[in-house]
Amino acid sequence: MNSLEEFKDELETCFGTSCGFCERGCPVYQTMKVKTLSMKGRNRTMLGLIQGKFEITPAVVQAAFECTLCGNCDRWCSLKNTEHTRAFREYLLKHGIEPMKEHSSLLASIKNYGNPWFQPRSARNRWTRGLNIPKAAPGKQDVIFFAGCTSAVTKQLNRSLVASAKLLQKAGVNFATMGQDEPCCGSTLLRVGQTGAFKELSAENVKKFESFGVKRIVTACPGCYTTLKKMMEDAGSKIEVTHISKEIAHLVRDGRLKLNKSTERMTYHDPCHLGRLGGVFEEPREIVRATATFVEMPNNRYESRCCGAGAGLQSAFPKLSRDLAAKRVSEAKATGATTIVTSCPFCETQLRTVPGIKVADLMELLLDATDGNGKNNDTKRAS
Amino acid sequence: MSYIDELVSALGKEKVLLDPSERFVYGADWSPRTPDEFVPPDVVVLPRTTRDIQRIIKIAYAHEIPVTAGGGLTGMLGGAVPIYGGIYVDTTTMNSVIEIDSKNQTVRVQAGATLQEINDAVQPYDLWLPHQPESKWVSTIGSAIACDNDSTFGVRYGKILSCLLSAEIVTGTGEILELGHRKAHFTSSGYKLKDLLAGSEGTLGVITEATLKLEPIPAVRRVDMLVFPRMGAAVDYLSRLLKAGLCIEAAHINCRQRLKFYTHSYKQKFGKDPEIPAWAEALLAIAFAGDQEVVDTQRNYAIKVAKEFEAQLVEEREIVDAWWASKYTLDFEPFKQKWPDSQKQKKFGAADPGVPVGRLEEFYHKFIQVAEKHNLEIIGMNAYLEHPNSIGFSLSCAVFVDYRSSDEVKRFRAFHDELSKLAVAFEGTMSTFMSDTYQKAPYLELEHGASLKYMKEVKRIFDPKGILNPGKKFLKEERRR
Repeated sequence: MNSLEEFKDELETCFGTSCGFCERGCPVYQTMKVKTLSMKGRNRTMLGLIQGKFEITPAVVQAAFECTLCGNCDRWCSLKNTEHTRAFREYLLKHGIEPMKEHSSLLASIKNYGNPWFQPRSARNRWTRGLNIPKAAPGKQDVIFFAGCTSAVTKQLNRSLVASAKLLQKAGVNFATMGQDEPCCGSTLLRVGQTGAFKELSAENVKKFESFGVKRIVTACPGCYTTLKKMMEDAGSKIEVTHISKEIAHLVRDGRLKLNKSTERMTYHDPCHLGRLGGVFEEPREIVRATATFVEMPNNRYESRCCGAGAGLQSAFPKLSRDLAAKRVSEAKATGATTIVTSCPFCETQLRTVPGIKVADLMELLLDATDGNGKNNDTKRAS
Repeated sequence: MSYIDELVSALGKEKVLLDPSERFVYGADWSPRTPDEFVPPDVVVLPRTTRDIQRIIKIAYAHEIPVTAGGGLTGMLGGAVPIYGGIYVDTTTMNSVIEIDSKNQTVRVQAGATLQEINDAVQPYDLWLPHQPESKWVSTIGSAIACDNDSTFGVRYGKILSCLLSAEIVTGTGEILELGHRKAHFTSSGYKLKDLLAGSEGTLGVITEATLKLEPIPAVRRVDMLVFPRMGAAVDYLSRLLKAGLCIEAAHINCRQRLKFYTHSYKQKFGKDPEIPAWAEALLAIAFAGDQEVVDTQRNYAIKVAKEFEAQLVEEREIVDAWWASKYTLDFEPFKQKWPDSQKQKKFGAADPGVPVGRLEEFYHKFIQVAEKHNLEIIGMNAYLEHPNSIGFSLSCAVFVDYRSSDEVKRFRAFHDELSKLAVAFEGTMSTFMSDTYQKAPYLELEHGASLKYMKEVKRIFDPKGILNPGKKFLKEERRR
């Protein structure tokens, strides 16, 4: 991971180009209309800072942290913009800026509990009750299902993990979970600029995963997905990291599930980490198409708009975060859809804060539509 | 009470940015300027309404503070960057679409709406605003008017004045004026003061709203590329097509070097520059648009006529598509947009003269000579037809400029000035899409002669204290005399 100074040439390139194409899809800029909060402006702020044009001020800190790292700017540009922003945050912390108070508490929780939600480690395993899922042991399984802390410790989100596990069972995957020993993936540390702590955690995590001798790590959390994927690739590990939708979509494609298709209009919201940053676009759509009447929002796939929950924005800038969610929901409503399907615990929680539309988890939707589960997805999961 | 205190009091502190980092961000556009020339504004304001802008200008008028209004800050010659500090008015915060009259094919918008935002709003009515520079995602309508920039589809729809029906401005005294003919598509009444706004660079007033003429979206578009042994042959060919009665939608002549700058996506795909015949000196990109049958008929006729001009159709669609993506669709492979890649080390710098049609080739050779004389790396020249259904073109004579080198920026300025002056000697004009800015201000008289005095009088009527974008078009000292 490069430091901010190492990105100087890229910052100069942005300054020299000045095209501003990043502004169009930036959810924060389009809501706030302040150029310092667009990527072009943020790149300029970084350049000015390392050129000594000005000191670190509250406005500089705001420019660094008022961003969801959703990667929309990267879609339009060959520069590594989200990496610049991550390095910017790290730079500020190295130069004596205290982590934002909202972020400090997240970091303390990760240190003490292995999750940013102040939940005991034992909470991580609650969702598995009654599912008869084995605990990972060396050489005993092909796949580790990595639940991720957010869905695991949040009761309302447990159902999505249960659905994922049941579908993996239907698919005949030989999998296990790490139970309460499941570590933090480090995504939060990385996004708020705690690069040192992230590197330490990564080294431990890679060792742990390798010790189980598995072929794949499957996760239902897009943040965990991109973080673990990069972590394992950087470490040169042969363990593949994949998202649950990719693992399960073939069941739908091969007709191995008998599905009750609903006539309800549903749209799909691409989580930034799964879609734009993770490259998984089609499998979730295949699943929604197989279970409901699918309609696409104009801003989809690479151009999907962030829900506003990511990279510490929800905790540090709650109003802006809510505004972004409202914008995305209005885009969904404009399609005539009555349900937004997504596949990320953050997006799901965030989009639920906006009234007037149902929000459904992709795996729950699929499981509910599966014959024999006796549930009608038209009426489930109303927000 | 200082003027900044008055701004905070009038607008609210959330609309006034004072931090040095914030002011730094609003101080630069695409133009090559050395770090020494960089003068950030003293304060940035984020108005939401025309009344906000009126309040800002009245305060600036009372205190005689420079006011520079800007939009996307993608200008290539510094038109919207302040050079004397003062107040920077970011109009992008005013981006509402006020009214769409689909029957009349018009739209009323706030001046900070980007061209793309306008098109997103009118597209459901099967209408579009055909004024389309490459910067359309970011360029605002106010800036497009104030800069009088170029458009991909100029040969069919003209430049911005062809679609501007009316505009609201706030003058240098804070007076709100509507210039133009409301929703009527044209007028024979009064002086056409609205026309003064095109290329005015915010020196007469801050544009706050505009009423624009829209066009029906053509059903089909077909873009082709032809190579010619000479640039002049491409011009003759286009002239012949116009005589034949074809309705061309876009016509851009590129010198062979310039093609490389616009085929980034080709290089991404194939790992090399596109190959064109060694004899080809000019590439013409040409588009027809409308119903399929009409497009096919026109295209077939155009290709048939091409043989008379020693032209050859470019069969490799990837070259054409790469160029068109660069010019219009902007549909690049994700994470591989063209601009940063082409400008890793240096900025794009250009002169934008206009010359008589028959002297294009002669001027092209002058461009190469002048660029070489000033030791600048040549990007190339292109000529865009920008007058409806006629042969007149704008010219972009482009070089790379290392903006971090004072010497190279100085050489670029000398190159720009020399070509601008040469264009006047060729019985042409110094500017066809970037306006005058500070760059041409010292020698504007060369083109306008005695009429410059009248221009200055016009400026004085709209902006008696000279607070609006000072140093642009006219030197600051001159204007205050």
